[in-house]
Amino acid sequence: MNRLCDTEPRVMDEEMLRLAVVEQGPRDEAGQLAKQEGILFKDVQSLQLDFQNILRIDSLWQFENLRQLRLDNNTIEKIEGLENLTHLVWLDLSFNNIEAIEGLDTLVNLEDLSLSNNRISKIDSLDALVKLQVLSLGNNEIGDVMNIIYLRRFKDLRTLSLSGNPVAEAEDYRLLICAYLPDLVYLDFRRIDDHTKELAEAKHRYVIDELKHQESRMQAQLEDERARCRELEEHKAAFVEHLNGPFLFDSMYAEDVEGSQLSHLPGVDELLQTYKDKFVAICLNIFEYGLKQQEKRRVELDTFMGCVQEAIQEKQEQSKAKIAKFEEKHLLSLSSVRDDSELTNFEMKMAEHSEDLAELVDVLMTLEMQLVEQLEETINMFERNIIDLVGLFVENVQSLMAQCRDLENHHHEKLLEIAISTLEKTVKGELDEDLPDAVRSLFVDKDTILNAVGASHDIHLLKLDNREDELVTGVNSWCAHLLDKIHKDEIMRNRRRVKEIYQYVDHVQSELDSLEFSDLLD
Amino acid sequence: MEVLKEKVEEEEEAERAERGEKMMRPMEVRKEETIMTREIVRDLERKLLEIEVPIPEKPSTFTKDAIDISKLPLSYQSNTPKEEHLLQVADNFSRQYSHLCPDRVPLFLHPVNECKVPKFVSTAIRPTLMPYPELYNWDTCAQFVSDFLSSVRLPDPLKPPPYLYSSTMVLQYQEGNCFDFSTLLCSMLIGTGYDAYCVYGYGSRDLCHMDLTREVCPLTMKPKEVVKEEEKAPPKKYAAAAEPPRGLTSRSRRVQRPTPCTACGYSTQDDHFLGIESLWNHKNYWVNMQDCWNCCKDLVFDLGDPVRWECLLLGTDKPLLSLTEEEDDGTNDDDDVENLGKEDEDKSFDMPCSWVEQIEISPEAFETRCPNGKKVIQYQRARLEKWAPYLNNNGLVCRLTTYEDLECTKTLEIKEWFQNREDMLELKHINKVTGLNIDYFKPGHPQALRVHSYTSMQPGMDRVMEFYETARVDGLIKREETPRTMTEYYQGRPDFLSYRHVSFGPRIKKLALNGAESNPRPMVKITERFFRNPAKPADEDVAERVFLILDERIQLRYHCREDHITASKREFLWRTKGDSKGNKIIMTPDMCLSFEVEPMEHTKKLLYQYEAMMKLKNEEKLSRRQAWESEQEVLEILKLREEEEAAHALTISIYDTKRNKKSKEYREAMERVTHEEHLWQVEAQLDYLAPFLAQLPPGEKLTRWQAVRLKDECLSDFKQRLIDKANLIQARFEKETQELQKQQQWYQENQVTLTPEDEDLYLSYCSQAMFRIRILEQRLNRHKELAPLKYLALEEKLNKDPRLVELLKVFV
Repeated sequence: MNRLCDTEPRVMDEEMLRLAVVEQGPRDEAGQLAKQEGILFKDVQSLQLDFQNILRIDSLWQFENLRQLRLDNNTIEKIEGLENLTHLVWLDLSFNNIEAIEGLDTLVNLEDLSLSNNRISKIDSLDALVKLQVLSLGNNEIGDVMNIIYLRRFKDLRTLSLSGNPVAEAEDYRLLICAYLPDLVYLDFRRIDDHTKELAEAKHRYVIDELKHQESRMQAQLEDERARCRELEEHKAAFVEHLNGPFLFDSMYAEDVEGSQLSHLPGVDELLQTYKDKFVAICLNIFEYGLKQQEKRRVELDTFMGCVQEAIQEKQEQSKAKIAKFEEKHLLSLSSVRDDSELTNFEMKMAEHSEDLAELVDVLMTLEMQLVEQLEETINMFERNIIDLVGLFVENVQSLMAQCRDLENHHHEKLLEIAISTLEKTVKGELDEDLPDAVRSLFVDKDTILNAVGASHDIHLLKLDNREDELVTGVNSWCAHLLDKIHKDEIMRNRRRVKEIYQYVDHVQSELDSLEFSDLLD
Repeated sequence: MEVLKEKVEEEEEAERAERGEKMMRPMEVRKEETIMTREIVRDLERKLLEIEVPIPEKPSTFTKDAIDISKLPLSYQSNTPKEEHLLQVADNFSRQYSHLCPDRVPLFLHPVNECKVPKFVSTAIRPTLMPYPELYNWDTCAQFVSDFLSSVRLPDPLKPPPYLYSSTMVLQYQEGNCFDFSTLLCSMLIGTGYDAYCVYGYGSRDLCHMDLTREVCPLTMKPKEVVKEEEKAPPKKYAAAAEPPRGLTSRSRRVQRPTPCTACGYSTQDDHFLGIESLWNHKNYWVNMQDCWNCCKDLVFDLGDPVRWECLLLGTDKPLLSLTEEEDDGTNDDDDVENLGKEDEDKSFDMPCSWVEQIEISPEAFETRCPNGKKVIQYQRARLEKWAPYLNNNGLVCRLTTYEDLECTKTLEIKEWFQNREDMLELKHINKVTGLNIDYFKPGHPQALRVHSYTSMQPGMDRVMEFYETARVDGLIKREETPRTMTEYYQGRPDFLSYRHVSFGPRIKKLALNGAESNPRPMVKITERFFRNPAKPADEDVAERVFLILDERIQLRYHCREDHITASKREFLWRTKGDSKGNKIIMTPDMCLSFEVEPMEHTKKLLYQYEAMMKLKNEEKLSRRQAWESEQEVLEILKLREEEEAAHALTISIYDTKRNKKSKEYREAMERVTHEEHLWQVEAQLDYLAPFLAQLPPGEKLTRWQAVRLKDECLSDFKQRLIDKANLIQARFEKETQELQKQQQWYQENQVTLTPEDEDLYLSYCSQAMFRIRILEQRLNRHKELAPLKYLALEEKLNKDPRLVELLKVFV
């Protein structure tokens, strides 16, 4: 073939792939069939393209179901064009001119990767290959021991080859690898014996322990982060996120310049403190109430789903039983019809069949209609319940929010009083406290101070309104989506079932017809 | 009340007396005519109140003369002062009782024992805990007593016997009357912790005689129940008495009372119990003061009730059992224990200890169980035979034969139980009417067989084999065969096969010449079903496949998807003929008919269908092969079963050192080794210095001089002994020689006159004498040879003796 002669780089085109597919496809009788029908690239599971002088990987996007790909002994310089081959398990890219590992991020099923005899100097970009078991990197240019630490993340890695790399020239190279990768079974095609493992462990214990410690700390951090995220998700699902603390209160003052300025006035500090305490207590109330309601909604939904499943299951069983009964009869008489030569008999039997079939359709459709009615009723009931639940939730949250507003109003009045009395003092020149200049500038006249207090109040109310709106729209849209989905799912289910029934009946009918037809031919 | 009761009793007694004689006869009749209705029988029984007929042909083997009284322990032969006191109390009680209730029969208080010494009945109960866990339940314990002893009837069924032997004696002879049964059972039950009592009262005739002929065998169906008598009871205060004996034990508070004779538990209200006179345990004695006109149905067993039960030892017994039948057994037992403890504290006079020796049953006797290891029980339309393990060489331990008729001539079915069979056969059930045999096996058969039911051992007949599927590699649970089909059920296979049904066509005649084995029946159809394989999508997971072998057709039905009601189907049929032009057809669309619930694209391809069909063809071959192998296995099992039946080898536990040859040899070898070791140790302990050390003042440290002397003395003493021994041998040698010479001389002198007999005598003497002389000569020579060596050995030993070595070293 062209392996020996060609020295010119070749392009990977459809023609080349087609040739390879046919050549490597089924043989003998199956081959004839394959030829007759043609082979679709997406049905190919294994492809071998070695010694082809390929310079660039290309045109492979159609091979969606490829499991095994051999591209060794070419002149490939860059790993590319493999993004679509997500089912790939086995990839051989050895004896090429690759310098960097890249382009493998979608190959999550890859178990065996061979990159030996290339020019790779750094192991990385393999993060996506969580199932990796065998990694060949022999005869490359890897020099840094730190590359091995990178391999610790592959929990399934059992076989590794690194010989022929600068890193393998180190005196205790084997021990080092064994120590860093304790789950490894084969290194450079040789089994690692227990003795070596022990030696390695003893020798590098401190480094490894340190490493493990770091890793476990990172792991713990990660878990914490995840747990927090999960918790927040839960709170969001209950629509009460960030209500289990002073977040809302703080956010009211975050953009409120006047408010923070006014807090410097005498007496406002204490006022603010009591206000905050009361406010946070109400927030906590809302928060806990929200979680409780969320649990209630969940239970309601679970119960509903359970009932629906049960009803569907029951009808399904009934339908299956009917079909089984019909098939039994159908099969028996079908075989007797086959043997029956008499035409009248035959016709009679055929008529009987058609009748039975019609009856079956009838029964199945009736069952389905019953189910639809039953489900409709259930869904309506659920709809009422869930809307009630949501309505109650919204109502109660609103009343709690109203309490917040009352608090705010109350606070506002007090603040106003203080502001006015302070203004009076300022006017009288009795103000002896040291106020920042910015605050002092507010007390130029009554309008200014009233505006400032009023602006602060408005901001606070706006925040409260926003939060309330957010919660109410959130829960309402959730409810609407849920109901919408339930209705849609039910419609889809019904359509699928009806389609299934007719498909089945058509099949049986066509079987009968073909029998009739063949009989007439005879 | 009292009066009324007595009246009734009077009447009964009168009636009894009247008919006493006649009664015997009806009983005989009954035996022959088992057809009598139960009502009649009961009626008779009621009137007779249980008569025990002494059986002349079976006299008690241990009459008093047969017993060597002198060997019995002292407690058997005499009474302690406390016992004497008790007897007086009892006499007093008895006198009062007969005075107050003159028309009741005398109490059964102190019969004589085998040494003719009167003993109070309660002291004959010797509570004993046996080392066999099997005896820890009342039912198994009663069963054991019933099996272990053979029953002897009372001399006079209307009276208690004048004697009551010790349980040790009864066990020794394995024979006893109902009182012996009760006492023994009571002893064992109390020892185990039950609150049991011996009862003296009346039972139905059957119950008392262990006559089960009119009963339905309990093994045959839900037992109706067996007859016998028994008892339980509690009580108090005093009273009067009754009639035919019947001792029974029972656990109080239990609605059930085991009868030792038949070993069945009866409710205290059972019809078989006609009346109770008195009852006792190892602590006290109570007399029933209630009326028994309605059998035992209305009796209240509250021994603490002084109106209903009169007790003999006042003070001893608190209302031991205020039991009502509903009471929970467990709590009652606890109460009893407490009560017993309390009694001990506050009683004025308590029951003396039992005079009976500890009851012992050897493991051999326990295993043999029935006298001679055999027992036959006749039930109504059934016969139960029992054997001790290993008695029958085929392992048979029990056989139940049921009959169609009352005369037991037409056998209905036979059940045989086996033990210790090497082939693990446990039960053989033979139905004589249908000819169906069912063998049950315990786990461990070489082919993991569990049940085998068949009418004939010929292959190809109706047969069902069930297996212990976990013991089989192929997970086979059951294989059913009829002449034309074979059905197999599987479980837990990696290929999820659950069922295989094979239909066979008729055998092809011409091949029959080669013999049955090489002529398997042709397979017509193989149906296989599979469990759902969770690793595959339902559309690709075959639920059932049918190979229609003659039609060259394969039908597949897939599993149903979870949310669907129809399942995909596929049918392959191939044409081996070519098309009209003679070209070979590889695959055409009409060779594969599919119905797909969710149509898939790749299955439409001929290539896919072709590959699927090729695979199925291979699998068909495999299935046929497996079906054939199954057939072979059946033949193999049948052959094996035949061999096993013929050999019926028994297994012997390696812990059974009496029966297991290897274990026995090993045990004996071990014993021998131990014995030898012991001898050797004794020898090693002989201290040759002891006699000499003894002459020195004790406790002082040896001086060197003393040590040297000790050694010298020891050596010289030994030398002397060697010389003495040599001299002794020498002397004997000389004596023999002289004797011989004398005889020779005498012979030469009288040679002429000697009779041939004398000459023979002389010659034999000569040869013997010569032999002795030669032996003596050898011994002397050997002694001469060994003596110096022995001497040196002793010296060596002395030099190394730890007591002398330090002192002698310097000297040496």
